[in-house]
Amino acid sequence: MALTGRTGLLAAVSALAVLFAPQPGAAVLGLLLLLAALVTVDLLLAGSVRPLRLERAGERRVRLGDSVEMVLTVENPGRRRVRGRVRDAWPPSARARPAEQPLDVPAGERRRIVTTLAPLRRGDRESAGVTVRSVGPLGLAARQGSHAVPWTVRVLPPFLSRTHLPAKLSRLRELEGRNPVLIRGQGTEFDSLREYVAGDDVRSIDWRATARRSDVVVRTWRPERDRRVLIVLDTSRTSAGRVGLDPASGDPSGWPRLDWSMDAALLLAALAARAGDRVDFLAHDRAVRAWVPGASRTELLSVLVNAMAPMEAELVEADSEGMVTAIMSRAAHRCLVVLLTDLNPASLEEGLLPVLPQLASRHLVLLAAVSDPRVAAMAEGRDTLEQVYDAAAAEHLRGERRRMTSRLRRHGVEVVDALPDQLAPALADAYLALKAAGRL
Amino acid sequence: MTPDAPASAPVPEAAPVSAPGAPLPGVPSPGAPSPSAPASPRAQDLWRRWRGVLGVLAFMVVLAALTALVTQPRPGGYLDPEATTPGGAHALARLLRDQGVEVRPARTVDEARELAAPDSLLLVTRTEFLAAGWLMDDLATVPGDRLLVEPVTQALQSLAPGLGAGALTDVEPRAPGCALPAAVKAGTAVTGGVSYNAPSGATSCYGGGVIRYTDGGRTVTVLGSGEFMSNRRLAEEGDAALAMNLAGTRPVVVWLAPTFPQAGPADGETSLADLIPPGVTWAAVQLLAAVVLVALWRVRRLGPVVAERLPVVVRAAETAEGRGRLYRSRGARDRAAAALRAAALDRIVPRLGLAGDVTPAGVVAAVAMRTGQDAQQAGAVLYGAAPGDDAGLVALARHLDALERQVRDS
Repeated sequence: MALTGRTGLLAAVSALAVLFAPQPGAAVLGLLLLLAALVTVDLLLAGSVRPLRLERAGERRVRLGDSVEMVLTVENPGRRRVRGRVRDAWPPSARARPAEQPLDVPAGERRRIVTTLAPLRRGDRESAGVTVRSVGPLGLAARQGSHAVPWTVRVLPPFLSRTHLPAKLSRLRELEGRNPVLIRGQGTEFDSLREYVAGDDVRSIDWRATARRSDVVVRTWRPERDRRVLIVLDTSRTSAGRVGLDPASGDPSGWPRLDWSMDAALLLAALAARAGDRVDFLAHDRAVRAWVPGASRTELLSVLVNAMAPMEAELVEADSEGMVTAIMSRAAHRCLVVLLTDLNPASLEEGLLPVLPQLASRHLVLLAAVSDPRVAAMAEGRDTLEQVYDAAAAEHLRGERRRMTSRLRRHGVEVVDALPDQLAPALADAYLALKAAGRL
Repeated sequence: MTPDAPASAPVPEAAPVSAPGAPLPGVPSPGAPSPSAPASPRAQDLWRRWRGVLGVLAFMVVLAALTALVTQPRPGGYLDPEATTPGGAHALARLLRDQGVEVRPARTVDEARELAAPDSLLLVTRTEFLAAGWLMDDLATVPGDRLLVEPVTQALQSLAPGLGAGALTDVEPRAPGCALPAAVKAGTAVTGGVSYNAPSGATSCYGGGVIRYTDGGRTVTVLGSGEFMSNRRLAEEGDAALAMNLAGTRPVVVWLAPTFPQAGPADGETSLADLIPPGVTWAAVQLLAAVVLVALWRVRRLGPVVAERLPVVVRAAETAEGRGRLYRSRGARDRAAAALRAAALDRIVPRLGLAGDVTPAGVVAAVAMRTGQDAQQAGAVLYGAAPGDDAGLVALARHLDALERQVRDS
């Protein structure tokens, strides 16, 4: 049960009566008893909450940054009207609005309650139950009860970099020769022979075929297809660090590296799938967190965002040896291993570097890391002594990253180190460059 | 969040060209004392921090002192025997003493009672300060004759029973108009003020401004205006004579001239609680019940609190910021300078088209050739000794920037 403000108001107003009553002590007792009786009557007359039937409908998925409407149908099978307030409770980061709203369901009827969720973070948000407060006809007291109406909304990664996809796809089409520009790479595959037209690269003339025929014949090429791309997401502690600006909430403390990496992974997966390559996805810290093997081209993105959605950075050190073992056991053939992690010299030196030769001997490794714009801004500071010291610290950090990058390159590893909002296009460009060079 | 690599000095790719005796990186040079930041505040800081509070305190003290000064009872009140102001009555007291009358000034009723004797005259002024009923009752027990100056109604009732206050008249020179010897001898005097309705057997002079009658064996004199006794008016007309005649009838005058409202123990008074009707107490109980009900209304939440597991929030730049603060607090100019130089070289060397393993001399020569700068100067900026003070570090950072810009723009 619950009282209303009206009960308190009534008690306060009756203090006036007590003031002028001939026997104030008896008046207090009498008035309080009367109030208690009224409250009891009101409780008895209030519509019952327990038999209410609640049903939920709506989306089960929402992209981070979008909002979703949760529709709750309240059916009142009882004989009395249920009037009062209802709260459809969700975790705070789901940002359910309105927090509570009025409810008025006549006996035997049903009403729809709409709550809008605008989630702040990725992950699964579970309904925390629905609470109904049914006020009696006198408005003095209310019955209150909660119902569990289970529902889970999965908040998917926003895939912000999808705006880059058209531009990257047109670059891909150039590679594939559908566009009139012809690009000839060292490792591209021989496609067919055709007659020479003005503008063709003379180097592509096939002299043997030309000798057999009276025309000049050129070879045409197409980029490799059906290669394998394995995207490996590092979900260890280095991925928990926040960089940039949180695009969902505008939180200046930033967005986890993990989320920026996911964004880049999604763009790469979309591009690679369109290029005809087979995309696998692995998330790993000390154990395999997710493994999405070769989903079909049409389903790939939805499978990937679904796998990524509940993922959080674990505050443990990455087990690089275990990761390499997991990769080797899953990828039997040569493939492009895209490693999304941080270029943190301390953890790379002890973790990845010793096992990298083993990985690089069979696969082509591309390491992509998010650099911190705050560090870049610090490195520019020259105004005060504090800023110069900060700049020195930032340069020290960047120098370590540069040295780590050059060490990795000496191991034959491609490295993409870009600011958060440029990582996805930079990674896509690196992939396209590898493809154009036929190194996949 | 990541515990960074041990803070080793970032050694540039090429070994620094250092003059003999130049400080090694990481070893503080003896000439440059490492600056330490004192943690305790200076006197100036303390003053800045506390001056507001002190100012307010000083203001409060001054205000309190002024209030005490202004409200302090001072001689100088109206018809005060010790006051020499125009309104005071020091002249009259002096005259009385000269005539052999003992003047005993009293400030409170208790004092007056102690000083009084059966053959004394009680002169009461400023009765408005004796408004409390019990004070008047106390005063009524003081033996001897009474001379009441401008009594308030309550004083009139207690000390001069049977006398009623009449109309208010102007204070001006008047003839006695009665047979009272004291008045007749004095003649015209500045009187007036409240005129009293004399009871039977009383003598009324100066148009009711001076009343004398006998009550229970004592002579009671009531003055409608005491103006003629004041220092200002004593020399006018027959004022002095009238005052002397009225106040000097006995060998002792107890002059009660209170200077502030008198108060005393509230013995026998009813307490505040007795005055509150019972209905109010019970209404308060009722209101308390109302407050409890309102609290019950507010405390009931619509459903339980929803808990959520929150992700850890660590800004990735914290490592760099922490390192910057560490440099600053330890004054690690050598390491800071080395880091800045290494970064500048990493950007300059590829621009000059040099290989990574070029010697410092080669870099300096290439820079000098490209920018037209003095080779020694460029060498000092790129490979020189660590700056000796903080200003030198800031200057070095700007020099490096300038050099880099020149290389880029050339």
